[in-house]
Amino acid sequence: MNNIKIKSKNLNVYYGDKQALFDVNLDLNEKEVTALIGPSGCGKSTFIRCINRMNDVIDICKVTGNIEMDGMNINDKDLDVVSLRERVGMVFQKPNPFPKSIYDNISYGPKIHGKGETKSELDQIVENSLKKSALWEEVKDRLDEPGTSLSGGQQQRLCIARAISVNPQVILMDEPCSALDPIATAKIEELIDELKKTYTIVIVTHSMAQAVRVSQKTGFFHLGKLIEVGNTEKIFKNPDNKMTQDYITGRFG
Amino acid sequence: MTKEERLKKRHRAEKRFRFYGLASILVALLFVVILVQNIFSKGSSAFKKTVITTEIFFDQDLLEIQNGASQEEIMETDFYDVMIENLIKAYPAKDRAEEDELLKLFSGDAEIEIKKAFLKDNNLLGKTITLDLTASDDIDQLHKGNYPRDLPEERRRISDFQLVIYDYFVENKKISKNFNNYFFNNGDSRDPELAGIGGALVGSFYSILICLLLAFPVAVLASIYLEEFAPKNKITDFIEININNLAAVPSIVYGLLALQILLATIQLPRSTPLVAGITLALMTLPRIIIPCRASLKAVPPSIREGALAVGASKFQSVFHHVVPLALPGTLSGTIIGLAQALGETAPLILIGMVAFVVDIPSSPVDPSSSLPVQVYLWSESAERGFVEKTSATIMMLLSFLIVMNFIAVYLRQKFEKRWN
Repeated sequence: MNNIKIKSKNLNVYYGDKQALFDVNLDLNEKEVTALIGPSGCGKSTFIRCINRMNDVIDICKVTGNIEMDGMNINDKDLDVVSLRERVGMVFQKPNPFPKSIYDNISYGPKIHGKGETKSELDQIVENSLKKSALWEEVKDRLDEPGTSLSGGQQQRLCIARAISVNPQVILMDEPCSALDPIATAKIEELIDELKKTYTIVIVTHSMAQAVRVSQKTGFFHLGKLIEVGNTEKIFKNPDNKMTQDYITGRFG
Repeated sequence: MTKEERLKKRHRAEKRFRFYGLASILVALLFVVILVQNIFSKGSSAFKKTVITTEIFFDQDLLEIQNGASQEEIMETDFYDVMIENLIKAYPAKDRAEEDELLKLFSGDAEIEIKKAFLKDNNLLGKTITLDLTASDDIDQLHKGNYPRDLPEERRRISDFQLVIYDYFVENKKISKNFNNYFFNNGDSRDPELAGIGGALVGSFYSILICLLLAFPVAVLASIYLEEFAPKNKITDFIEININNLAAVPSIVYGLLALQILLATIQLPRSTPLVAGITLALMTLPRIIIPCRASLKAVPPSIREGALAVGASKFQSVFHHVVPLALPGTLSGTIIGLAQALGETAPLILIGMVAFVVDIPSSPVDPSSSLPVQVYLWSESAERGFVEKTSATIMMLLSFLIVMNFIAVYLRQKFEKRWN
């Protein structure tokens, strides 16, 4: 059993008057993949957006309760979100490379954090990040081309490389494969398997098969509540909760 | 109704709609063609001026000057007698009255034109040269065919005798048409043959430059702040509504505002491009802010999130990613705003730019005219020559607007290309 990396306690999230998360208590283990499943609008994405404070972007969003990473309170008002996001990277549902060159896409993060001060250091970071995201072989000869010229799957791996480039500890993935075809999906899943050796990964997914394939731990959300959490194998073979059972067998959702 | 009938009805409705659309476009095009044709047919002759080829003998007895005189000396010398002596030789006139009528066929600047020839070559004393002297407005219009000669004499500005001289010039090929450099280089004048848009061009240029320098940075910064940083609350809603309202305020209201504040209170110099530029900037500001905000809004939120997620601060995500992507749209909005400002007349009339200004302004604080106001001024003049000048000025104004709009469209298309 790995150490607990992120710990949420009685986490509540409100969008205006509407409550999106109810008292979520969820621990995420270090260097493990945790999958979050559940029907649309159940709060999975809201939960992971609490981990890197992406909810700050939404004016009407209010977060109460505790969420800690290595004992540091993420929800602290005085916390510098820039340094938090340096440690917690994120990959979005739709690939969103910057409309810049492949090289600039990757080097942007290190540059703003003052990593890689010389050109050769930056080159090294770009190469390593692309290698870790299994994209290097495909793009090494065309780093000047715009990131948007790549295929959907390549773009998503570029976004993963971009997240890796600042050397985070945690990577959040919000349905990273929902816009991709099965072959590209398989590549990303392979990649996640590889990445979990270095990073703590949280993945939101609508595909139960994907959760089974990539994760060690699974949490099931329903209507803003964390219904059940446990080892992936147990959740899918022998869940404690009737609702979890119904969801994974496709009776609702 | 059967299924077939309904289907037919649907097709008929579509056909009808296509017909209406096509008809509207044709009507619109027809009006454009009429407008352009009207302006061209009236204005194109203004780009040429009628000149009378005259022999000029620089008589030492009439000039208090030596060969090789310096520029200042020449400028101070009176060339009037030389002019008279040479011009009356252009046609064998019998008496003083006839000579007077002959002299009236030349423009009021004949003396200056002769002086300029001497300035170019200061060794002309005792020599004879042929010079193309600008004809008077009446001859100019007659030669261009804009002036009817079959009217009774008392209703004509040209006397029968002057017509005889004109015919003599035509017969001897002494009269011809040249490129009208005066139209581009001169300021306004009471004589249509000497009037030009030089002053108005420079005045418009200074006004638009000041308008750009004031409006662009303020509009861009205001849009960025409102769109990206400002909290969404009642105050920002109120500001937003009022920006939209200001964009719809009639321009003459800005003229009144400038009259009261800039001229009466702050006492800036009247009729100057400086005041015009500030007034136009006030008017253009909301008209630039609106497209600026629209182009910022058009940048997908995923780009902002992508930047924030790698740890960019709000400021960095906006200035490294959103603003560069919105820039082409911002620029094209600015250019269209400036094009509107360039064609604006009403506020400029109120701040005194309708003044009759002969000198070409050398700085933004000199009294000046501007292109649209020049159109307004000349369109009220009775002389035939100003009719073509009015249309020619409209042609110049329209071509500037077309060029500016073309640049705006080009920038926007480049912007679209960058997305894919």
